[in-house]
Amino acid sequence: MSDELVQIETPFAFNEENQREFDELIGRYPIKEAAMLPTLHLAQKQAGYITPAVMKYVAEQLEVTVMKVKDVVTFYPMFFEEPVGEYVIRICHTLPCALRDCKVVLEHLKTKLNTDVASETNLAKGTTVDGKFTLMKVECLASCDVAPVIMVNDDLYKNLTPEKVDEILAKLTS
Amino acid sequence: MVEERRILYEHLDVPDINTFDVFRQYDGYARFEKAIAEYQPDDISKMVMDAGLKGRGGAGFSTGLKWSFVPKDIEPRYLCCNADESEPGTFSNRYVLEKNPHLLIEGILICCYAMGIETTYVYIRGEFTLGKKMLDAAIKEAYENGYLGKDIRGTGLNVDIYSHPGAGAYICGEETGLIESLEGKRGQPRNKPPFPAVEGVFSKPTVVQNVETLCNLPFIVGNGVEWYTKMGPTYADTRSDPPTPDPNTGTKLYCISGDVNEPGVYELELGLTCSELIEVAGGLRGKEVKAVIPGGSSAPILTHYELDTRLDFTSLTLAKSMLGSGGIIVMNETRNIVDCLLNIMKFYAHESCGQCTPCRWGTPWVRDIVQRIADGNGRKDTITRPKFGVAENGRWGDTGETEEIYEDLDLLESVANNIANVDTMTWNTICVFGIAVSWPAVSYLRKFRPEFEATIREGKLVTLPIAEATVPPEENYAYQQRFVPKEFADLEQPSEE
Repeated sequence: MSDELVQIETPFAFNEENQREFDELIGRYPIKEAAMLPTLHLAQKQAGYITPAVMKYVAEQLEVTVMKVKDVVTFYPMFFEEPVGEYVIRICHTLPCALRDCKVVLEHLKTKLNTDVASETNLAKGTTVDGKFTLMKVECLASCDVAPVIMVNDDLYKNLTPEKVDEILAKLTS
Repeated sequence: MVEERRILYEHLDVPDINTFDVFRQYDGYARFEKAIAEYQPDDISKMVMDAGLKGRGGAGFSTGLKWSFVPKDIEPRYLCCNADESEPGTFSNRYVLEKNPHLLIEGILICCYAMGIETTYVYIRGEFTLGKKMLDAAIKEAYENGYLGKDIRGTGLNVDIYSHPGAGAYICGEETGLIESLEGKRGQPRNKPPFPAVEGVFSKPTVVQNVETLCNLPFIVGNGVEWYTKMGPTYADTRSDPPTPDPNTGTKLYCISGDVNEPGVYELELGLTCSELIEVAGGLRGKEVKAVIPGGSSAPILTHYELDTRLDFTSLTLAKSMLGSGGIIVMNETRNIVDCLLNIMKFYAHESCGQCTPCRWGTPWVRDIVQRIADGNGRKDTITRPKFGVAENGRWGDTGETEEIYEDLDLLESVANNIANVDTMTWNTICVFGIAVSWPAVSYLRKFRPEFEATIREGKLVTLPIAEATVPPEENYAYQQRFVPKEFADLEQPSEE
């Protein structure tokens, strides 16, 4: 049996806290489908990544087809269909950051974490062996004045140098 | 030196300005109260129109005019606040959301009052987790203090504001893409018309406004139209006879990044020149300015010949560029334009939503051509095509001479122009993403062609000295069309005989 089928059989449901948040969300929109993005964010927060079971559950909650959910999940780069590390490191490599040497920071991160950069279709490529970090390049993070920047999960780190990267990684691994 | 004129950002650094109580101490919500006490909704719309406020999100469309398209007889109507700030080089909305979210709420309230809107969605880009947290907290406080919800301040006005997170797609900053995304679908832009003002989110009339535009509203209402129009130039639109005023009023949150000593957001009156802005931002980091991107990465590039261009909507449009979202990226003499274009084209190839074929296939194609050139594999020598012209026999045909062409450069311009033609300003795509791709591609190529040619010739990235790298003004098509607008007040007024 393929992995995917196994995953479908592992059911997903919101925990109590998220269910409460979801109930509040759904009341904001005249149609249920409109709550798609916040619901998927919520589900991803709970499940770590969007499994087929999550899609099925979200589809049932929003009264749309699973295909519609899949359609949305594949469009937006912030939704993961594969497992990612505990800390997702997003490094901006667009022009303003490139002008401020984000390449040096990226190379440093790669050697430090001993991993490659994840691509959208292959997140495992950028995930460390211990599953703690996933390194991915993203487009402009709208912090060009403090470039180069990285985002670790929800936190933004500014004006990076290799030394600062060391500090951040030391703090996260301790 | 030009002075900063802080209006939207005036109290940004006040400690705890993000809390309701502190915001109240600095005139917070007083302008909204003034609006509901002294003006009818239509008066507010008229004030915004008279103030000449132009949308700060990118297109620079008159806000008052946009409001006038909204049918008043269809209920409900919606306001979508566009906080999906993703244009490379732009970062002013982030600070408003993170530090002064109540100002945005006040702007939204004034807009809702003017337009009779009861529901607002603030579409925040997914990466702005702190901004969303701050805004959500501010919305909660506003509800608690009776500035949101049902029957606000006993006026019978009902307004609800909800924040809606995006999920990392650049195209959701396009207004119809944003609406699709808000409805829970892929953020693929819609065909226009119908415009969102007539049929937007949930098929109802929708006003879509940028954060900065909405933040201007409290000041227009609070200080009056006359005060507002004193800031920034008003040009004469000579396309009509007699010329009509073309206002570029107010301040702009200029985001400056790249090779300057003090990158950051500077709030200045519209209409200062490019070199003045660089000076305000602590001067250039490096020896000379090689190029400036004036309005986010989609805007056509300016060369060192064009540093006297005034950074406002009209002047930049006439200079065949755009103010866009006000993200200015400066490059010094060490930068390679081919490399910079490659970076930008990678961005667009990644962010194309995939809906229209010219864009879906064209953007990766353009990226691959630039990549090939940058890698030193640009196609050059093999093609020496016959030069057509008047031949020896006096007829049109093969002249017998040959000319060397850079195949990849022609191809680059051709592919880019087939996504959207920058000369005729027509695009083969549904939304303006097409023009956002071909504008940089074609303008970098035309203005810095020697650098592209040298890179192909040498087979590696070559950074030429500025004087050699830039096409001189007299040879460049883009400059020939350029002219500088006249201020309306300077026009000779027709005598009344």
